[in-house]
Amino acid sequence: MKLTLQIWRQRDTKDPGHYETFEVDQLDVGMSLLEMLDRLNEQLVHEGKEAIAFDSDCRESICGTCGVNVNGRPHGPRPHVTSCMQRLRSFRDGETVRIEPLRSGAFPVRKDLVVDRSGLDRIIAAGGTVALPAGTAPDSDAVGVGHDQVERALDFAACIGCGACVSACPNGAAVLFTGAKVAHLSMLPIPAIEKVPRAEHMVAAMEDEFGPCSQYGECALVCPQNVPLTAIAFLQKERLKSLLHPRV
Amino acid sequence: MSAPPDAAPTQAARVKPEPPPAFQVSGRHAKRLPNWGLKLTMALTGTIGALFLAIHLFGNLKVYSGAEKFNAYAYWLRHVGEPLLPANSVVWVLRIVLALCIVAHVSGATILWLRARKARGRFAAKRSHRVRSWSATLMPLTGVFILAFVLFHLADLTLGIKPLAPETFQEHTATAAFAYQNLIASFSRPAAAISYVGAMVLIAIHVSHGLYTVVSDLGAVGKRLRAVLIAIAGLTAVFILLGNASIPVAVLLGVLS
Repeated sequence: MKLTLQIWRQRDTKDPGHYETFEVDQLDVGMSLLEMLDRLNEQLVHEGKEAIAFDSDCRESICGTCGVNVNGRPHGPRPHVTSCMQRLRSFRDGETVRIEPLRSGAFPVRKDLVVDRSGLDRIIAAGGTVALPAGTAPDSDAVGVGHDQVERALDFAACIGCGACVSACPNGAAVLFTGAKVAHLSMLPIPAIEKVPRAEHMVAAMEDEFGPCSQYGECALVCPQNVPLTAIAFLQKERLKSLLHPRV
Repeated sequence: MSAPPDAAPTQAARVKPEPPPAFQVSGRHAKRLPNWGLKLTMALTGTIGALFLAIHLFGNLKVYSGAEKFNAYAYWLRHVGEPLLPANSVVWVLRIVLALCIVAHVSGATILWLRARKARGRFAAKRSHRVRSWSATLMPLTGVFILAFVLFHLADLTLGIKPLAPETFQEHTATAAFAYQNLIASFSRPAAAISYVGAMVLIAIHVSHGLYTVVSDLGAVGKRLRAVLIAIAGLTAVFILLGNASIPVAVLLGVLS
């Protein structure tokens, strides 16, 4: 299999950046997108050129480190699949594929396909943790949580923080990401104790760097963990509810 | 109720924690209007607008019960509450409330649109070709056209400003209204009839996406609740479109005259 790749090259954050075209041959349809980039990099290093910088870690869809826009779509053509798990069989032999970094005003490009997603970390630092002195582990079954409730919380906890939702959003919003975290924590008994300050602080941190939501629904279409769009309503619900509980 | 300083943390102290130092916010935009608040403002003012459209539709459909009843309804609108309230008081209260809603809605939309452009940065997102995404994309555009339509509609059938209003436009008097005659005269002009139908399509697109957004902006998360509210949103838009657009079509076809 042969592909023509148009890949975004950018020296550093200040460089305006440009696309560079490469031909890669003898690819296997079972290769992942990142394995194809590895192959291309071997080729480039062999030719004495600079390798293309891209992020990856676990390569099994659980770490949220990888993520590039493929033909304008975060992660790649297959919905709900991370870049590391996208296979080349999604492309036609001889196709031209454009690969660029995740795009958002809040994600400055560090180099080539590597972006700075620390804006998402700052949202988590604002309240995406359990900061209570919760003491030692309680006896099992001391705090009851229903099975359905746990499953629902886990649907939102599945978010891996890859940033695809932000890149897919025409408004550069991180509402699906923030909503997933807030929803998951508000459904479990110990983290729920802090839900009032959490909603206030996480929303404030989110609005510091990211855009507002207009319900395009693009985020949920690309989310590799299939976080439901309801996360957005959850965030607004928790933020509005926090108005009813003024802190002293 | 706080525990004595030396005591070990009690259950009561755990239930009402101080905001823990681990929660950090830059506070960069602490003084500007928050997006969630602007969204809420737009949701509430937009809902008032949609409610007005639904009531307006109810009034419009009286056109099918004949000139007399339609004119009587138009007359009643101006004189409701008399003699307790002066003439036109209810219409003026509605006009003021709606005007304030429009100002708040358009200002909120403008601020959020500008913030969204800034947050997106240099590269526009590629959109999926889904109805939801298209109607969201079209919101500012349909909004601007609807605003222009409202001005035209007021000039045509309320104020009677020619040449937007028909030549035979009759101002209401202290004892009678001529809403039916004015409506027929206006919609007998094919260009006006077509622009009314076009405007209803734009309003339906705007209202359907707007009310869909309201469901999330008011924080409805339950599966059944969301399904019901989203269905209401869609049906409202469909009724506004079919009900209102039927009137100019009926006039052009000669059903109403």
